[in-house]
Amino acid sequence: MDFSLILELFGLSIAAALIAGFVVPWIGSYLYLRRTSFYGLALPQLAATGVACGFAVMPWWVDHVGIGDLELAAALEDTHAAMNYHLGWASLFTMGGLAVMLLIGRRSGSEVAHVAGAFVIASACTVLFAHASPMGEIFVHELLRGEILAVGVHELETLAAVLGLSFIVLLWLQNDFILVSYDRETAQVLGKRVGAFEAGLALIVAASVAAGTMTVGPVVLFGLLVLPPIAARPFARSIPHFLWLASGFGLLGTALGIWASFQWDLPLGPCVVLACALSTLPGWIATLVRK
Amino acid sequence: MTPILEARDFTFGYDGVAVVAGDKLTMEPGQVLGIAGPNGSGKSTLFRGLLGLIPAMTGTVVCNTPAIGYVPQKEVLDELYPFSAVEVVEMGGYGSLLGWRRLTREQKDRAHACLERVQLPEVAKKAYSSLSGGQRQRVLLARALMVKPKLMMLDEPTSGVDAKAARVIMDLILRLAEEENLAVGIVSHRLQDLQRAANVGVWVDEGRAHVGAAGILEQGERRAYGRVESQGDA
Repeated sequence: MDFSLILELFGLSIAAALIAGFVVPWIGSYLYLRRTSFYGLALPQLAATGVACGFAVMPWWVDHVGIGDLELAAALEDTHAAMNYHLGWASLFTMGGLAVMLLIGRRSGSEVAHVAGAFVIASACTVLFAHASPMGEIFVHELLRGEILAVGVHELETLAAVLGLSFIVLLWLQNDFILVSYDRETAQVLGKRVGAFEAGLALIVAASVAAGTMTVGPVVLFGLLVLPPIAARPFARSIPHFLWLASGFGLLGTALGIWASFQWDLPLGPCVVLACALSTLPGWIATLVRK
Repeated sequence: MTPILEARDFTFGYDGVAVVAGDKLTMEPGQVLGIAGPNGSGKSTLFRGLLGLIPAMTGTVVCNTPAIGYVPQKEVLDELYPFSAVEVVEMGGYGSLLGWRRLTREQKDRAHACLERVQLPEVAKKAYSSLSGGQRQRVLLARALMVKPKLMMLDEPTSGVDAKAARVIMDLILRLAEEENLAVGIVSHRLQDLQRAANVGVWVDEGRAHVGAAGILEQGERRAYGRVESQGDA
């Protein structure tokens, strides 16, 4: 295995995976602490549904709305235009789905059931939308399979910009996000705009999931949102310690997954997820020993 | 004396449905207000309304201080968060922080001083989730002190702790109220704790808040029990 050749050919994909490997677990830690990790399953699937829907309506969209004055064939070939177009659909489905789940699920008192329902519906819709577009079917199949070797410069830039901004905001307002998540009423009494912080957190999660799903696929997003926080919690002594540990486990799992993928010629996405799953073992063992 | 908190002709409720109403309720420095009533009477709704967590449907609630120390029920705080005891106390200082700013050295020292005031300096570095119920309650008291409060509101501070720990907590609240000249509001279902601490009572029953001297709590309970017994006899 010649790593210099691999870096030359797949450097952008590896960089995208490593950026996601570091930032997504940080976001997933908030889902974990708020006991809403199940959103980490439903949201990437909704983003994938958005991408598939984008492919299904693309011919109509090109004719009636337009994608940078391009013809259908050219729009499909132009990675820059296609990325922006699909990112719009992924964001629309992720944010729309999140808003609907929060509004209906919380009011009816069966949030988990509604999120599970959204996941199933999104999965079915992804398959049906993809079926309506031959090009979409191939793309979505690769996305779901976790093939992330075809990341271009624009995709990497978009992912880095969205995740970078999300990370900065989370770091910047860490105390407020933690306080609002941990003790909503005290935050309110202390004069915090609780609704604004909760909406901001939901927006960060949705935007990151949409951009992440477009680039590294839903399976990797599932894994990075859910597994590193599980791995980190048994060793965490404070909130900052927990957040950095989760990101560290995510980065380590991603690096290990990349290595395994090239070493044994396996799809990159599933390798990253399984490597992250391996990183949860020390925590389980530590918990068992302590008991 | 200007009251710290004043509510007049108030009604509190949820989704347009009135739960509890009253005529006049004031809280002044040094005063300990005990709120009690049967289950489902609306005492928690009254408490939340006075705190400003829910808006008044009618009437006015005027709070003349931003320095409110709030002690929630310890059960509502999730053990999943890996906080040490002193980190929970430090949260009381977050109200004065904006954005990226972190607590100053002085504020961090104050968090340790607040833990000493509730006689728990030794648990500062321990995981909050590993503490006993009584210790957690005192840590939350310390957090409320971080605000440098003029008004302290406590939601069931002795629930889920044994009688000895409950006594320690109530003694502590009384001592702090006296030393800091605080206005204190306590909602509790443990009447004997309230009777010992409160100098003003609010008995909430059938959606109505009756304000009077502390003795009103015992009278209210006797009436409520009498009603239950007569319903049982019938």
